[in-house]
Amino acid sequence: MDRANYGNSISGAGLVWKWQRLLWWIFALNLVFAFFATQGMVDRLGPALDHSNASQYFVHGFDVSQMAALASQPDSPLEFQGPAVIHFSIVFMILMLFFTGGILATYVRDERPAPGIFFESCGYYFWRFVRLLIYMLIVFLPIGGLVALASMMYSRIDDRSISPYSAVHFFLAAAIVILFLMIVIRVWFDMAQVIAVAEDEKRMHKALRLAFSLFFRNFFSLLWIYLRAAVVACLIVGLCLYFWMKKLPPEATLVAFLLSQFMLVVWIAARLWQRASESAWYRRHAPVVAQEPAWTPPPVIAPIAMPDPEPYTPPTT
Amino acid sequence: MTFRDQLPEVVERTGYKHDFDMVGQWFPKVGVWWKDAWNCHQFHANSEFFADFGTFDVKITVPQNEIVGAGGDLVSSHPNSDGTKTLAYHSEDVHDFSWAASPSFTEKNDSWDGPNGPVAIHILMSPGHMATYPRYLSNLKGTLQLFNDWYGPYAYDRITLIDPPHGGLDAGGMEYPTLITAGTAWDMPKGLLAPEGVTEHEFGHQYWYGMVATNEFEEAWLDEGINSYTEVKVMDALYGKNTSTMAWSFAQMGEHGQQRAGYLGSDDSDAIAQFAWKYRNSNSYGAITYGKTATMLATLEQVIGEDTLRQAIHTYFMRYRFTHPTGTDFIKTIEEVSGKDLKWYFDQAVYGTNVFDYEIDDAHSDPLKWWDTSMAHPKPADGIYRTYVTVRRKGDFIFPVDLEVKFDDGTTATEHWDGKDRWFRYQYDRKAQIVSAEIDPQTQLYLDRNFFNNSYVERGDARATHKFRNLWVFVSEWLSQLLAWLT
Repeated sequence: MDRANYGNSISGAGLVWKWQRLLWWIFALNLVFAFFATQGMVDRLGPALDHSNASQYFVHGFDVSQMAALASQPDSPLEFQGPAVIHFSIVFMILMLFFTGGILATYVRDERPAPGIFFESCGYYFWRFVRLLIYMLIVFLPIGGLVALASMMYSRIDDRSISPYSAVHFFLAAAIVILFLMIVIRVWFDMAQVIAVAEDEKRMHKALRLAFSLFFRNFFSLLWIYLRAAVVACLIVGLCLYFWMKKLPPEATLVAFLLSQFMLVVWIAARLWQRASESAWYRRHAPVVAQEPAWTPPPVIAPIAMPDPEPYTPPTT
Repeated sequence: MTFRDQLPEVVERTGYKHDFDMVGQWFPKVGVWWKDAWNCHQFHANSEFFADFGTFDVKITVPQNEIVGAGGDLVSSHPNSDGTKTLAYHSEDVHDFSWAASPSFTEKNDSWDGPNGPVAIHILMSPGHMATYPRYLSNLKGTLQLFNDWYGPYAYDRITLIDPPHGGLDAGGMEYPTLITAGTAWDMPKGLLAPEGVTEHEFGHQYWYGMVATNEFEEAWLDEGINSYTEVKVMDALYGKNTSTMAWSFAQMGEHGQQRAGYLGSDDSDAIAQFAWKYRNSNSYGAITYGKTATMLATLEQVIGEDTLRQAIHTYFMRYRFTHPTGTDFIKTIEEVSGKDLKWYFDQAVYGTNVFDYEIDDAHSDPLKWWDTSMAHPKPADGIYRTYVTVRRKGDFIFPVDLEVKFDDGTTATEHWDGKDRWFRYQYDRKAQIVSAEIDPQTQLYLDRNFFNNSYVERGDARATHKFRNLWVFVSEWLSQLLAWLT
């Protein structure tokens, strides 16, 4: 990769670091939602476990059979809050869709995101990003078809081969191809979002067209910007998982919690790093590519000029 | 008698998959003349076998490239001019004959020295599974040794283990005289002892079904249940009590726990002593026949002792091998060896559907002179507290239980409650407050459906709750991130 590309990633990392309050807010929101989503289970689990010696099955190790025994109790203290988790995750997704405008505006402008301006940007770009999301879901439809086809072929290969490896190799190959296509689409739409913010482009189909042209003319450099952050995050998360599962004493509950949250922070930071790097890349390349002049800031609603009120004169009697 | 059989694609432990054939349940079996009548049951979804002992001479003609494993001694092998070969097998004192063939097998031979001479171990491995071969072999040898040491000698000179191929796992986990099928996968983790568990279980059937040939249609617990109990004992001895099923650093499971969890997965709708086809459903059949019987026998150790129960099972095996004993024979043998009348236990645990659940209902300490407010804080002047511990029987299973109460001066009170009343309150006046109260402090009453209400610890420990919360929070956060990736 060229030096300029590293420069984009470094600039992106710098932006994430500089405006790290975005990272911490997203992380806090994610954590709070997860706490709410699991509160019902904890309310039932505490009375069953906190004053019971049997809880030690989970403190000094993790006895799966005792977990099954706990789950089979009539009051189901371990019942997973599936619907709550899904509902909170959907709300989080919608909020992230809302915040993306503010996040990208911050990275593109590289200005301190005062709350008013930040939320104004969030609202200003929200419906454009909703439209982009719809476009993306449409683009993902063929990918869904590909997944179904691959799944069908996997079953057929798995069924017809006496060796387990044929199906495994096919699965790995299919997974890599599908993941690659999903990443390509994500980078394309990421760039469309950057254009929508940087150029104040209201027509999302035009932003997508521009992003498509831009992305495929700079395919490897933009892909590498995305992959670099993803690989770094995967490595760190993988190492943390390894440490958590293999090295961490089972009694170290607090450390396990901190480690799990560190993984989340790394993951969110990596996603922001991708967005910031793409924004930095666009700032460097936009004058060459973009047909329209540089972006104009979102309109600030000026106060309506009102005539000075007449001085108050009390009624005379 | 002439018959024709067509193998299905592998289902219910018999059939073909690709070039693999598992030929089990393939010929019309002769009924059993038993209790002055013919005992011939139709096939039921929840039951397997009942047949009489005999001698089998079987000739199998297969393509010459086939590698064959069978439940008999290979007497001869002749190539035929049409590209086939005919293998002749002979087997005595068995009540079934099965065989498997595939040109893709890798054949491995070993042996184990038993008291009656060497036992030939014949293992046929499927493609992609060779990594599991040492695990099968090690388990088979360990199981042979422990069964021989504990329950009695293995009567045959051979054992064949068939490893079903990828896609043919429906043929796995099955027992036939001197031939068993196991099961593994190309990516079987070392920490998951499934190949070991299935090998032990199916070999155990050489004793409980193979040699002690009980009527599985009518009393399935006598083979699957006793076999699940001996599986617990053997697996725990070979791989550790808490790690004999799952042995990862982040998650563990022992056979005791697995069998008990299997039992708890169903309610007590059916008694252990029940015709196989009369269970409420297949889930109840599995949970009660396998899990509850193993758990019931593990709990019986608390009544008569582990060694006595082992001796009783040994006596049962030696007395009834190559016959068709009943549940009554098994229970009588245990009572005879232990010298105890155990009707009260078996009536509830085997013939009844009684629910076993004892709990600490209440435990607390108060200053004895509670009315004297000047003495209440931080400690009463005379230092005497009155401690109450109330134990309760929530279910209808009556069982004597031990109670251990610990105090903050390091002393312990141990009680033995006959468990007959619905509840009982113990009272202590001591210069100490309660630290904990626990029923069954050694955790030996596995039939108790809820271990979590067996104790009360005054000083709470929320680490387990926090651990669960951490896990679910983590899962929830990642689900959110997955969805947020779309935005």
